[in-house]
Amino acid sequence: MKNLKLLFGKGNSIGQYGMIIALIAIVIFFSITTNGLILEPTNVINLFLQYSYILILALGMVMVIIAGHIDLSVGSVAAFVGIIVAQSMSVWHWPAWAAIILGLAVGALVGAWQGFWVAFVRVPAFIVTLAGQLIFRGANQIIGQSTSVPTPNDYNAIGAGFLPDFGPNTNYSNGTLLIGLATIIALIVIEVRGRNRRKKMQAEVPPLWVSIVRTGVLVAVTLVATYLFGAGPVGTSIPIVAIILGVLTIIYGFITKNTIFGRQVYAVGGNASAAVLSGVSARKVNFFVMANMSVLAAIAGMVFVGYSNASGPADGTGWELDAIAAVFVGGAAVAGGIGTISGSIIGGLVMALLSNGLQLMGIESNKVQIIRGLVLLIAVAFDVYSKSQGRPSLIGGMMRQFQRKDTEQNTVAAQQPQSIQDQPEKVNTQ
Amino acid sequence: MRKKLIAGIGLALVAGLALSGCSARDSSGSDSSTAIKKGDLIGVALPAKTSQNWVLAGAAFEKSIEKAGFKADIQYAKADGPVPDQQGQISTMLTKGAKVIIIGAADGSQLGSQVKAAKAKGTTVIAWDRNILNTKNVDYYVAFNNYKVGQLQANALLQGLKEKKGSGPYNVELFAGSPDDANATVFFNGAMSVLKPKIADGTLKVVSGQTTFGKVNTQGWLAQKAQSRMTDLLSQYYSGDTKLDGVLSPNDTLARAILTATKAAGKDNPVVTGQDSETASIPLIMKGEQYSTIYKNTTEEAQAAVDLVTTLSKGDKPDTKIDKTNNYNGVKTVPAIELTPILVTKENAVEAYKGNSTLEDLAKAGQ
Repeated sequence: MKNLKLLFGKGNSIGQYGMIIALIAIVIFFSITTNGLILEPTNVINLFLQYSYILILALGMVMVIIAGHIDLSVGSVAAFVGIIVAQSMSVWHWPAWAAIILGLAVGALVGAWQGFWVAFVRVPAFIVTLAGQLIFRGANQIIGQSTSVPTPNDYNAIGAGFLPDFGPNTNYSNGTLLIGLATIIALIVIEVRGRNRRKKMQAEVPPLWVSIVRTGVLVAVTLVATYLFGAGPVGTSIPIVAIILGVLTIIYGFITKNTIFGRQVYAVGGNASAAVLSGVSARKVNFFVMANMSVLAAIAGMVFVGYSNASGPADGTGWELDAIAAVFVGGAAVAGGIGTISGSIIGGLVMALLSNGLQLMGIESNKVQIIRGLVLLIAVAFDVYSKSQGRPSLIGGMMRQFQRKDTEQNTVAAQQPQSIQDQPEKVNTQ
Repeated sequence: MRKKLIAGIGLALVAGLALSGCSARDSSGSDSSTAIKKGDLIGVALPAKTSQNWVLAGAAFEKSIEKAGFKADIQYAKADGPVPDQQGQISTMLTKGAKVIIIGAADGSQLGSQVKAAKAKGTTVIAWDRNILNTKNVDYYVAFNNYKVGQLQANALLQGLKEKKGSGPYNVELFAGSPDDANATVFFNGAMSVLKPKIADGTLKVVSGQTTFGKVNTQGWLAQKAQSRMTDLLSQYYSGDTKLDGVLSPNDTLARAILTATKAAGKDNPVVTGQDSETASIPLIMKGEQYSTIYKNTTEEAQAAVDLVTTLSKGDKPDTKIDKTNNYNGVKTVPAIELTPILVTKENAVEAYKGNSTLEDLAKAGQ
């Protein structure tokens, strides 16, 4: 069941599960009110085409927030990179791949600039990125002269494109089916190898049915997703931008959960002094976290320009707030130290589905905005409330079910050493 | 355990709902014919409600579409970040099965993916009041002849200068609209086609030297931007004896902002042009503070678009123009229905607004 904890991320309590349930509830609610339109393959594909850039931003933003900072410049940086990339292709006639590399490089430079101020000069990130928001918005307007610059079709594929159709006519998108199949196989293999590794380490292996149910749930989700992406109109498939998002999610999920750097980010965010005293270089962590955010902002900007087929002068307006909302709805704590990649993705999807569903219902933009604001407020309020009440952690409650049956050895009383000679043989490491 | 069960059941429910609509992909495309019938859904995507004419547009569309026997889905983009909002609204209209989409673009060059998806579904795409650029996926363009609007504004400026500011040469400044609005460039080019020869032969003098679109545009058509630019120009070039005789303003909102700036600086009212016949500007015109405006009957424009849909639904060919000056969008010249703008000054205001009770009353009141 540590596996399950691993799935849903460490350090979260009711908030995590709450969001998944909220997601499911929203889907069901809108399925009813829109007569199932929200779950139509075309709509799901549109959802990811439209909102992937916010989810990409959320991936970076969650790490920034875990580290105890915030980044208000992402929209402006995205627009800045967007106009540079668009101009490089339309004015200097660079090929798409060169323009993309240029965009990433510019993002890295911007990130290094902001990282330097935050990490080495120790200006609060709020100020550095607020300055960045002004600086890069101005730079964007100067470079682009406030005009829209169109981009060529081969570039637009990263934001608006799909997998090409190939192979036998199965009435579904074959590319999507293959990806779905690969994901399912990967899930099963990971689970099996995890079990074998634990057996080898002689660690406690969860009962077989637990593994099956857990993998089964994930496989079911993958099947549903594959169907939803694959059954769209001819020529569509899982959007390329969704694939980019998926790859980035896996990479960042791995970094935050399974690498030393990831743990260092949590440490610095949770208690910076303690982390520094423990030997973590807060400077390195802060620098890389801010730099990473700007690179992801560059990716988001480039993807959005691809989707819009042009870079526009108003790009990036308000993006930072969307990303921050996604992260907090996904369960991050304002003070830092808490938050997960998967949580942010779920939070982002909740906000996206909310907007999408309300639009399908025909509700006007201003009311949608009010509703989104209220949902954000209530979601975070609930999270703060449940954390502050010291409620028994739901994960803890769940864990208890799966421990070995309570024997005298395992009860809490038995674990307390009565005296220094009286140590229990095995301490349950929950 | 319980939580997992709940999560599992929830996912199963979702899966069930999704798969209940289980159909393989639409390989036949939309075999439900692309012909437009009475009762079909018409999607109208309008930009942010930043000026009065857009507010009127929504109401006009609702009335016209209902009268013509179709169903309307009218959406405005939100002012803070209109482009992604409008992209989503158009996608949603397509998902809901709109047969026609009428788009007043927030940024005409950033809708390529949406109109491509629309055409793939066989939906008719009508660009309304603002062209959609750099794509072949636009069927029709319904708008006023915007080049002519620019020319009328320039002529009004010259006429007003002669009437009110004695004999030349005259000191003028130029303002243009938002660079992401395709129409703004057209207005400006139309006006410059009349003004450039006058600048060249010395009748008009642009004291600041700012005569290119890049220098004179007003991002977002925002009044505060025009006001601050005018204030800066006045303090930089018109302190002392230099008088400002006239200003080319592309619309009424900016004209009022410019007048606010000149008043605040204590200068005489220059001859200022405008557009849109906004209710706040008509009293100023009757008083003689703003010189002119353009009347583009939004109701008429909306009606023209709905009439186009009715014509198409009957299977007839609409009466469109191919006008390269006005309607070339970078890839093709979109067949257009061009309406005629009317120049309005103090003299002909009452006459011009006949039929529009609100504006006519305002004009009469100021006489």
